[in-house]
Amino acid sequence: MKRRTLIVSGLGTAAALVVGWGVLPPRARLGRAETLPGVDGEVGLNGWIKIGADGTVRLAMHRSEMGQGVHTALAMLVAEELDVPLASVRLIPAGPDKLYGNVAMFVAGLPFHPADSEPGAETRLVQGGQWVVAKVARELGINATGGSSSVADAWEVLRLAAATARAQLVGAASLHWKLPAAELRIDAGVISHASGARGHFGEFAKAAAATPPGSVSVKDAKDWTLIGTAAPRTDIAAKIDGSAVFGIDVRRPGMCHAVVRHCPMLGGSPGAVNVDKALQLPGVERVVRLGPVAGSTAALAVVGRSTWHALRGARALQVDWQAPPGGGIDSAAVLQALEDQARAAASAQGGFAFHSRGDMEQVARGAARGIERVYRAPYLAHAALEPINCTAQVSGVGAARRVEVWVPTQVPGSARALAAQVAGVDEGAVTVHVTYLGGGFGRRLDVDVVGQAVRVALETDGRAVQLVWPREEDMTHDFYRPAGAAVLQASLDGHGQPIALAITSAGDAITPRWLERALPAIAGPVDMPDKTVSEGLFDLPYGVPNQRIAHVATHSGVPVGFWRSVGHSHNAFFSESFIDELAVEAQQDPIAFRLGLLRDAPRHAAVLRLAADRSGWGRPVAAGRARGVALHESFGSIVAQVVEVSLVDGRPRVHRVVCAADIGTVVNPGIVAQQMEGAIMFGLGAALFGRIDIVASAVRQSNFTDYPVAKMIDTPRIETHLVASTRPPGGVGEPGTPPIAPALANALFVLTGKRLRELPLVL
Amino acid sequence: MPQNHALRLLRRHGVLVNLSINGKTHTLDDAAVDPDMPLLWALRDVLNLTGTKFGCGVAACGACTVHVDGQALRSCVTPLAAVAGKPVRTIEALGSAEQPHALQAAWVAHQVPQCGYCQSGMLMAAAALLAKNPNPGDADIDAAITNICRCGTYPRIREAIKSAAAVLRSGARPRARG
Repeated sequence: MKRRTLIVSGLGTAAALVVGWGVLPPRARLGRAETLPGVDGEVGLNGWIKIGADGTVRLAMHRSEMGQGVHTALAMLVAEELDVPLASVRLIPAGPDKLYGNVAMFVAGLPFHPADSEPGAETRLVQGGQWVVAKVARELGINATGGSSSVADAWEVLRLAAATARAQLVGAASLHWKLPAAELRIDAGVISHASGARGHFGEFAKAAAATPPGSVSVKDAKDWTLIGTAAPRTDIAAKIDGSAVFGIDVRRPGMCHAVVRHCPMLGGSPGAVNVDKALQLPGVERVVRLGPVAGSTAALAVVGRSTWHALRGARALQVDWQAPPGGGIDSAAVLQALEDQARAAASAQGGFAFHSRGDMEQVARGAARGIERVYRAPYLAHAALEPINCTAQVSGVGAARRVEVWVPTQVPGSARALAAQVAGVDEGAVTVHVTYLGGGFGRRLDVDVVGQAVRVALETDGRAVQLVWPREEDMTHDFYRPAGAAVLQASLDGHGQPIALAITSAGDAITPRWLERALPAIAGPVDMPDKTVSEGLFDLPYGVPNQRIAHVATHSGVPVGFWRSVGHSHNAFFSESFIDELAVEAQQDPIAFRLGLLRDAPRHAAVLRLAADRSGWGRPVAAGRARGVALHESFGSIVAQVVEVSLVDGRPRVHRVVCAADIGTVVNPGIVAQQMEGAIMFGLGAALFGRIDIVASAVRQSNFTDYPVAKMIDTPRIETHLVASTRPPGGVGEPGTPPIAPALANALFVLTGKRLRELPLVL
Repeated sequence: MPQNHALRLLRRHGVLVNLSINGKTHTLDDAAVDPDMPLLWALRDVLNLTGTKFGCGVAACGACTVHVDGQALRSCVTPLAAVAGKPVRTIEALGSAEQPHALQAAWVAHQVPQCGYCQSGMLMAAAALLAKNPNPGDADIDAAITNICRCGTYPRIREAIKSAAAVLRSGARPRARG
């Protein structure tokens, strides 16, 4: 059986087992009005949209705002179709209905090559796989904000929901006034007719709910007045006066505060604990033992009157920490083992081949010469600025027990399931309030802190408790970006052009570990091939006719998770640095060399040309500076970056980044530019400084003092240029991150002649 | 009870903390705080002024930046005893909806915030900079704004500071209290 056939049939079997074919109705994701019960005269028109008595629109907001601007972007889709000002779309919490699950994210997780999954031209195999996964994802209804998928997932759904609501409102007005619907217009939420008839949405909402929408279609792109504009974000006002409520800002009557202190050794546990000194401190109430939950290391929680009282108590605990069974983990040894495994697999055609084409053996025999390089990347922490936290309250006893949770999370359904499990109640007894997220970057796809907070709340006599991780706990107990190593080999013809490319990487798979932690109900007994390990390697756009791109999935024992741009975050460094090395081998300009390999990838070539053009590529650069370029596709978007770097006191200083991108249809170019800038800064900090070291299972870095991140002084001038496109929207939050490290490394090579093959980039 | 023991100690030393926050005087209940408590936690957990953020606890990230006597100060490592009686200003009083600080207006014009978590501290650090230096250049901004933003809003913060400085210099807007 071919590999892809295996994957798809495996998915089909899984789907049949999980839900049964009979309960997979081909229904739209419009939802029913009952999903959104009206209060105070509101009328629900479908699972997404309610109309208030005053005519304002309420949108069920299912995705988490963590800075990526999703609350603004999704509201824009609805405002556009309903012809209302963006400001009059009020967001209400979406709740736990399966309607709000993310389908696009799961479909994007399939390990298909982009050449086979071009929208509208998918191979039948790809069509089948996507159909099955979409069905399963819809049935499971997992609400996740991640994978740069929110706009792509909502693009058809929300516009159709709004267009349907609009048709019902217009229909109701038409019936009421006995005027043809086609003659009615909507302006700023007011329906009117040339005859002078006027009424706002609220006046027709009730009738609209009983009016069939008829045949509904969304607006043509040429009629858009909001989509495609840099509309101001709707969350700015609350974020400049301190009023925005993040998880850590939740305040409940009579609440207490708790601070967690984990065993310093990952996977270890507290042995004997002396709590006397802690409990003698004023304002310290109690100490609660926390077992491992949803992937966490065992810990102690200290409950106190304020976070500071709890912090002081946590410091005063005397604990005989027990090392994890099975010996300590050493990150240097892990990285060396990954390199060894990648080398062994590279020489034996081992690992799981995510992509193969052509005939590698024959080509290698006929090649003029070969080139082989090894690249490495370290573990990384997310270090979102809002510390990991969750507020929980458990009230009532027995069957009347209720749990309420306030948490900055990317996966409210997982939070709810875990809270229910820890409190011993049905999920129906749990209410999850998603606050603003003070950064997510993938860390808040894990819900370990929810389990801890609910566990503590079982001990606080019905009072709410806010559990906060000090920064040191976050840095030392993250779900880290996995370390990785890759062997990259090319066979070159007599002109130095690559005729074969073999990439063999090694590193931990993230998705199966994450499923075990966050979605245990669908975690399988064996690991399926995880696309995230090889993304950014197996899916390259370059027309090298013979390829074998394989990965060795490992189990290091280090907790690993999704880190902004996931596998692309290090794989783009590997692949785009290596491509640059090949350009040097071919004695060609790096952009001209890439363009030569992109003859069948016109979108990639266009993005690269745009970056070259806007950066002044080929023209002289300021004295002491050098340019470097990288091109990378991730999350359905293509990004090229040109970096200008110099050395200041022997260290790299990036002065300018020109970023070109094809992200498909642009909903809000202002937010896109913001995300590109942010993604570049996130990747730049990692490229310059980022590394997590583990010795004897304990993480050595502890705070921003020894895990530096990019700051103002490291900030270059950044320009973002977008390619006009009519394709459906691609991702925006992550695709800006992968190219920055290789673009910088390639510039440093030009500047210094030194090729850096390991992150962070240390000269 | 140990708690009572501590209270007795506090009372014996006659410790009551008077704080002047945003123009209001708070005499903090000596059962709620003690003079070692960092200002950050008195603001957040006692007075419920949650606009000032906790990020690192070691004065490394600047999310907790407030003004004390007009100077930017990292409140996570500043004990209450050190600020007793001194005027403290937090993000909640940087401006008002009717009369925003020039920086807040610039933050809107440049669409600075993303997740927003660091922005209170950024604004307070920037306001202290502009109070001292009406025309900061890039190097001044690099030196004064050492706060951390994980979303990477730095390029916009830099531009927003410059444009707010220009507005303040032109006198187009009354300088906010400070």
